[in-house]
Formats: sequence, structure tokens, C-alpha cells
Amino acid sequence: MAPSASGKYDVIVIGGGHNGLVNAAYLARAGKKVLVLERRHVLGGVAVTEEIIPGFKFSVCSYVVSLLRPEIIRDLDLPRHGLEILPLDGTFTPMPNGDYLWRVNDHGKTMREIRRHSRFDAEAYEEFGKAMLQMCRFVKPILAMVPPDPTTLNPRDLLKLLFLGRRFTGLSGEDKYNQVQLMTMSAIDFLDQWFETDVLKATMSASGIIGTFLGVRSPGTAYVLLHHYMGEIDGAFRAWGFARGGTGAISNAIADSARELGVEIKTQVAIAQILVKGGKAVGVATTTGDEYYAPIVSSSVDPNLTFLKMIEPQHLDDEFRDSIKRYKYRGSSGKVNLALDALPNFTCLPGEGNHLRGAISISPSVDHMERAYDDAKYGNYSRRPYIDMVIPSLTDPSIAPPGKHVMSCFVQYAPYKLKEGTWDEKREAFGDNVINTIAEFAPNFKDIIVGRQIVTPLDLEREWGLTEGNIFQGELSLEQLFFLRPVPGWAQYKSPIKNLWMCGSATHPGGGIMGAPGRLAALEILKHFKGTS
Amino acid sequence: MAERHDVVILGAGHNGLVTAFYLTKAGFKPLVLERRPVVGGCAITQEFHPGFRCSTLAHSAGPIRSDIVADMNLESYGLKTYSPDARVLSLSPISEPLVLYSETAKSQAGIAKFSQKDATNYADFQRSLTRIGEVINLLLAMTPPDLDDPASGNVWELLKAGRKLRGLGEKELYRLLRWGPMAVADLVAEWFDTELLRGTIAAQGIFGTFLGPWSAGSAATYLLRTAGDGNPAGPVSYPVGGAGAITAAMAAAVTDAGGEIRTCCEVASIKVKDGAASGVVLGNGNEIEARAVISNADPKHTLLGLVEPQHLEPGFLQKVQHYRMNGTVAKINLALSGLPRFRGINCDASLLSGRIQISPEVDYLERAFDASKYGEFSEYPYIEATIPTLWDSSLAPAGKHVMSIYVQYAPYKLRDTDWDSQRDALGDTVIKTLAEYAPDLPDLIEAREVITPKDLEQTYGLTGGQIFHGELALDQLFTMRPLLNWAQYRTPIRNLYLCGSGTHPGTGLNGMSGANAAREIIKDLRK
Repeated sequence: MAPSASGKYDVIVIGGGHNGLVNAAYLARAGKKVLVLERRHVLGGVAVTEEIIPGFKFSVCSYVVSLLRPEIIRDLDLPRHGLEILPLDGTFTPMPNGDYLWRVNDHGKTMREIRRHSRFDAEAYEEFGKAMLQMCRFVKPILAMVPPDPTTLNPRDLLKLLFLGRRFTGLSGEDKYNQVQLMTMSAIDFLDQWFETDVLKATMSASGIIGTFLGVRSPGTAYVLLHHYMGEIDGAFRAWGFARGGTGAISNAIADSARELGVEIKTQVAIAQILVKGGKAVGVATTTGDEYYAPIVSSSVDPNLTFLKMIEPQHLDDEFRDSIKRYKYRGSSGKVNLALDALPNFTCLPGEGNHLRGAISISPSVDHMERAYDDAKYGNYSRRPYIDMVIPSLTDPSIAPPGKHVMSCFVQYAPYKLKEGTWDEKREAFGDNVINTIAEFAPNFKDIIVGRQIVTPLDLEREWGLTEGNIFQGELSLEQLFFLRPVPGWAQYKSPIKNLWMCGSATHPGGGIMGAPGRLAALEILKHFKGTS
Repeated sequence: MAERHDVVILGAGHNGLVTAFYLTKAGFKPLVLERRPVVGGCAITQEFHPGFRCSTLAHSAGPIRSDIVADMNLESYGLKTYSPDARVLSLSPISEPLVLYSETAKSQAGIAKFSQKDATNYADFQRSLTRIGEVINLLLAMTPPDLDDPASGNVWELLKAGRKLRGLGEKELYRLLRWGPMAVADLVAEWFDTELLRGTIAAQGIFGTFLGPWSAGSAATYLLRTAGDGNPAGPVSYPVGGAGAITAAMAAAVTDAGGEIRTCCEVASIKVKDGAASGVVLGNGNEIEARAVISNADPKHTLLGLVEPQHLEPGFLQKVQHYRMNGTVAKINLALSGLPRFRGINCDASLLSGRIQISPEVDYLERAFDASKYGEFSEYPYIEATIPTLWDSSLAPAGKHVMSIYVQYAPYKLRDTDWDSQRDALGDTVIKTLAEYAPDLPDLIEAREVITPKDLEQTYGLTGGQIFHGELALDQLFTMRPLLNWAQYRTPIRNLYLCGSGTHPGTGLNGMSGANAAREIIKDLRK
């Protein structure tokens, strides 16, 4: 096939995941001609719905949503393109002693439930919610900001640093104290200051480790806790939901909006190489030998793929390549998707109640969480993992045959690097282990499974292009956040190769179905266009 | 009638003595009250078995910052320090030991036996540490700024630190920003391939903390520990005569300068009138009035134990309660009938004179840490030992030796048991661990002293047995030590100050907290 005529596209976006699509849509909105190239046969990257078992539609990877930026929903008019978020009500934690903790969105109910465990914690819970809300308010504008470069004297960067400093000094003493703690402490140290009920702390701390290679006692996890607290649906903080039709419906809505804005999207086009001429990116070459040219290339895949796989080494200096190599992925989670012909029956709360409509969390104690991490540190998957389950078919019957159900189990820890054996050898054993762990709490569990799909970190890498299976395209650890994400000096979506930009989760503010990196990168790219025209 | 004094200092630990000294130099007459019969706090030398003496607790100095040594003229009071050329002897169960020296080239030669690449990187790493260390040293010596009003403090110091930071250049500045919050395990993995070298260095980032090498922030502790001279092995400075020699010299300097020190004098409470400290009540009921009360005790003991709660806001009290002080270090002192033979070096005294470390790999340290998370002491602990009789024969009868051992992790809170019943088990574990590297050690032991975190609290007054008066974690450093906005040695109670290790920088036996505190207190007293 002949190369695309120059002038046909202004921007080529590599990867049709949610960030790539958001990036494309924002560029198209500003009148740019954009081409999105996706390697797989479906769009969405890890925000995808696939019918793996006939009749059962799995949100194969990412399975709940809350972080998607409201300005993106608004700007891209996503509801009109089919986005509908259904509420996910509450978190149910079964305990081995026959008790449970069941928090729901109904504040009064949750207070009564927590009071059942500890009167003291019920009071603290209210205060905690208020404090976290303040913290989210403080951090939110930072999520919508291109990180400044702290080493330059550039007025734009200095002003941003000053703005951050002022915002910080503007906080009340109490909020400042909380903010500093959230940035530095472990989730458990932070929660210990508020609560005494072990199962409550364990379940709450789980948000602090999702997608990281850290334990609930590792410093830095309090920040991840906040990162996940930031979710908002319809403006309400800390509300999680499902997309009707599965997570892929989000990507489809964004893609739909993008197409309406004029974006051209091609699937099953894998990029072999980013074409660089005279130190500038000029286009891409596909694995089948086609070439596409555009004055800007925007990559939503991770830095390892972008800079070490798609670009010939001679175009980058060693120091930059070294820092890209140092960037940590360390996938730590897996997914088990199940087709069920009945609902699980939990010993501690039998029957098909509303507790099955929210998240079901296997996080019975802080030690359970921490021991799960200990296994992973030495290269084993957790013997007794932390599992976050949802049964979206209870809320959205369209995704399973009548009377049957889909269950999504997020499992941690599943370290990418196993000490013994390979993930291909261990896949089934890993899945069995997850099912056995759940069966300890719901004895009918093994009998209701009619099909299963096990997604290991290796699968995430091979099938979805996530290096080392990290679901956030790189760890959310302190030294890889904000002006250090992905690497020092390159946190402003630009890269050392002119006209090559980054727009994926490996850039600020990072992972989750948030869309913020794609949007911020688009705004930066548009500034660049203005500067050159 | 109550006795009246200018300034009262609670505790004659090294920081209390340093503060006392600078106050006398500024013309004040401090009275230092020490609960125990000896001065020194955790820097003491005692006989633990007839004829055998050693540093009971801390055995190596930070070292004491040189300007403090000079100001107090400690050398004229007999303080001598010994800095062995071989700083660290790091033992391995599977290979030759690794020795790190003061001199870079010598360390490199030893490392090259394991990996040529590591040897080359070692010099680069040291250069980076040295440059970053220069900035950190400035920060250590300054009073942390008030975040609400950074210009209210010493603007000149801030500007100097800012200039120094910029002077680092982009590469080193980013290193500092990136390394600070990192796990020390990641830091060493970026530089070195040899597991023994990684473990040896990583251990410096976890000492005295409730962190494992994989815990974020352990790199910051490492940077603090190596800031002095940038040597990746960390400082090794041993006071001749044990740690008590440091505080004995300091006490003499204080007394000569006009300060007064009283031992066996316990303070039961701090008197507060109209929101200001007005003196102290002693254990025997006597009262001493003073313009200012300065506490060298840890923040929790001071603010929760010595001050009536009604004088502090509930919110503040709660924060003090949450200040983390969970010790992880125990101390074991051995009286030995001879010098143990360590595998691979026999009795080469020149190699044994520094710090003897058992930290063969990062995972070894992390596993040792794992136990402490569940309230158990490590089955194979991290060990940092020294044999001071190799350079100071006065500490033991002729031909005999003492071995002074830091053991980690020994968590203050044991699950389902207590330290009194576990003391011997801990001692046995340590000796068993050491015997794997020095098989004849058990037969040489004439006596042993095991000091658990509980002892550190009960006998030496360290709340939670925390040797640094508070966990050295990112959220309890610099402007947050001990608490955010209370990092300037003052407390919400007027005329009540903190000068101990629970204040910035608080990183060991170096006198810096005491010196910084004195500077701020003198400013206030002169107002």
C-alpha cells in the first residue's frame, strides 16, 4: 500500500485505548485531522468489553469506573454517545468469623453498620469522609495541571510552583497536616490514626495498593488511597459505578464522539516503528510495512514500547534511554472473569441480597492484605490474595444470558516476575487459588461457575501491550508522580524527539479510566500547533 | 520556697548537653536535670560484666558535627574518636566478605572482585552522594522553615539552601527529588548488581526504622545517614572509651562553662501557668521555677507524660499521640574470652575494627522486616556489630574482648507475648545468627547483656523503645519533625521547648538537634 499522502493527517495517535481516543477527540475538536491506530481488533485498550464465553460479556480488564474526568464527559458529550454509568452501591467484606462489614452509599445505614463494629469508628468515619473530601478538593486542580519543571527558571513553571505553594499555605492547619501525611504515609499508618476496626482498615486500605507493587503498610500507599478516592460520578465524590454494556462502552462512547468530530480510527494496525527524520518524528510504519505520515505523533502506549521498542536507539541519548529503563512497571495484579449460572451464597450473609450489587471485597484483615503482599515480594502469587469482586449483571442484565451472571474478580498480588515457573504454566493454578479463596466465604461458589477467563500480568503484557502487566502503565509510586512522571525532565507530555508526544497513563496524572493524560497532552499539543503556525 | 533558675533542661543526653552548652555561651545559666545516676542518656559506657565495659546502647557517633566538637572543645576534655580505615565488613554465607573502606579506590578494588561494573559505578554513586550530601548538610543545620510564612525564619539560610539546590544542576537535583521518596532497594538496584553490596548499602537506609528496604522513604534515611561525607558505606566514628566518653566530655564542658548538672533528679511534671511553662516539679515533690523549660526527652514523653492534658488542645494532643515511635532495635553486649574467627578473614583485626554487618542481600533484610510487621522478632535479624576492644583495650581484661551488637528487627510490640519472656530467645537468635559466620563465637561468650525495646523504654526513657525519638519516615522529617508547623523546637506552650532527637534533624548521635534548638531558644530568651 502506498504511504499516506503528507498533509492528510495533522496527528497520528498510537493506541486506541481510552487515553488515545480522548487525545484524538480533543485534537479533532480543535480542527486537527487525526488518525488513531489500534493494534487489536477492538478499541479501548484495557477499557474493553469482550464476549469471551458466548452470551457473557466480560469487562476483561478494567471493570469499574469513577475517575473519568467530568470535563471530558461534558466536552465530548459522552452520554449522547451512549455512555451510561450505573451505580455500584457499597462494599461488602465477608469475614472468616461469620461476621461481615457492609458499607453502602446510604450514609445512615453505613454509620449503623460501622457502629456495630465500633462506636468510636462510626464517629471517626464521618470526620474521615470530610477530611478526605478536603484533600480531594486540594488535589483535583493538580490532576488538571501540566506538571511544572522544578529545575528551570521558566516563568510559566515558576508560576505553577508558586500557585501550588500558595494553595498549600491556603489550607487550614488540619488540612495541611492531612495532606502531608497522605503524600508520605502508608495507608495503614494513615488509617490507624482514625480507626480501630481491623476489617474496616483492611478494606479501606485496599484502594491504596490497587495496581501497585506495594503493601498496605508501605509508605506512599496513602496517596494511592487518595487517588482512588478522587472518583466522582455526577459530581459526587467517592462514587464508583459500572458502564452499561461493560467498560468497553466507555471507550466506544469516546470513539463515537471522536469519529463524529472527524477522527479516523483503524483497528488491527500494529505499529512497528515511529519514523524519525532529522531528530523529528514524521510518522509511523506498521508491522505490515505500511507507512503513515503526520507532523505530530502522539503515543498512548507506555514509554517502554514507545521509546525502547518503536524507536531506533540512535535517535535517543543514553541518559534518556537509561531513565526510561529505570521507570518501574512491576505489574502486580491479575483478573479472573467468571460466567456463573447462579449467584454466590456467602456464609456470613446468605441469600441474594443487595450486598451482591456492590463490590465484594476479600480483605478480612490487615494481616491478610500484608501477607498477600509478602508472597509477591519474593516472586509468588498470593496464597490468599486480596480480591475485589463485582457482579455487574445484577445491575445490567444485558451482559449475561437471562438468569445467569458475570463476575469480575480483580486479584492482587500476581507479580509479573515469578520466582519459579512461568505464568503460562501457573495460569490455571492461579485461577484455582482465587476460586478456592472465594469459596472459603461462599461454599457454593465452585458449583456455580460455568466458564472462566484468567488474565495474568503476562497476558496483560502480551495481549494488551502493558509492559510487565502494570495496569497503570507504570507504578504510582511517589518517585514516579507529577513532575517525575514518567521520568524527570519529561513530565510535560513532550519527548526528546521533536513532534513525538506522550498521552497515556504513564504521564501525569496517571492511571485509571480517567482520561486526564489524554486530554492534557492534547491541550499541550495544541499549544505547540499555535506556536508553529 | 521554690528554687529559681534561669533555664531548666530535662535530660542530660547528648542533645540536652549541647543545648545547655550553647545557652551558657550565650550568657544563660542552665540547670540540667537527669533522672538516672549517670549523665549521657543513650550515650553511656557501663560495666556489664566484671571487668568488661562497653557502650551500653549507642556505640557509634553520628559523628558529632565538627563545629560542635570545636565549640565545646571536647578534645581538651579527653574525647578521642577512632575512625577505622575498613568501615564495613559485610559477611556473606556464600562468598568472601565485602569490605568497604574510607578510601574509594580501596573499596572499588574489593567490589571489583564481585563485579567490575559495580566498582566503576561505586565511584559515580559516591560523587552523587557527596554533592547531594552537601545540600542535605545545609538543611540539617538549619531550623526548618515555617510553611505558612517561609520568610519569617532565617531568610539567609533559606536562600543559601535554595542556591545550593540550584547549584546541584538539573541532573543531581532530579536525583535528589527522585531518590528521596524511593525505596532504598530500588536505589541500590539502579546502581549495583552484586547482591552483597546491595544489602550492605540498603541496610544503612533501614537502621533504627520500622521500614524494610522495599519501603518507600528508606532511601531518604540512607541519604541522611550518608550526608556527612558521602561515603556509601555510611559514617563510622567510634568514641574511645565508648559512647559515654562523648557525654562525659560534654558534661565537663557544660560545667566549666557555668552550667549545672544534677543526676538522680527525676522530673515528675512541667508546671504550666497561663499557657506558659513556669518550671518543673521533681519526683520528690520539690519545685524549680524557670524562665524556660527545655526537654531533651522525646516528644511523646514530654507532651503527653509531663504536661497536664488541659494545657494542650485536643487536636494537638491527638497528633502527638499519633507521632510514631515503634522501636525495632535491640542491643546485645557480649563479654568474650577471645577474638572470634570469622569465616574468610580469620583474625585480621584491621578488617574487624569497623562495622561488622550481616546484611547479605536485600531480601534477607526484607524478610527480617516481615516478622516485625506481625509482632515477631526476626528469625534471621539484620546485625550491626563492633568489637571496640580492638582499638580500646581498656574496655576488657587483657586478651579479652567485648562485642557490641545492634539487632533489627525487634519490634517493641510483640504479639501474644512480652519481652521479659523473649529476652533470652532474642539473645540466642542473635548468637545463632552470628555463629553461622563465626562458628567459635558461642564458646567464647563469658556473659551477655540483652537490652530489648521494652528496656529502652523503661530504663532509658525512650517511648516505644524508638532509638531516634520517633520514626525516621518521610512524614516525620524536617518541617514535620515532630509535627507539621511545630518543627522549630517550640511547642504550643510558651517557654517550653524540645531539643532532643524527636526534633529536626534527629538522626543519631551528632548533636545537631541540640545545637539547632539552642539557636532558636536563645533568640526567644533575648527578646
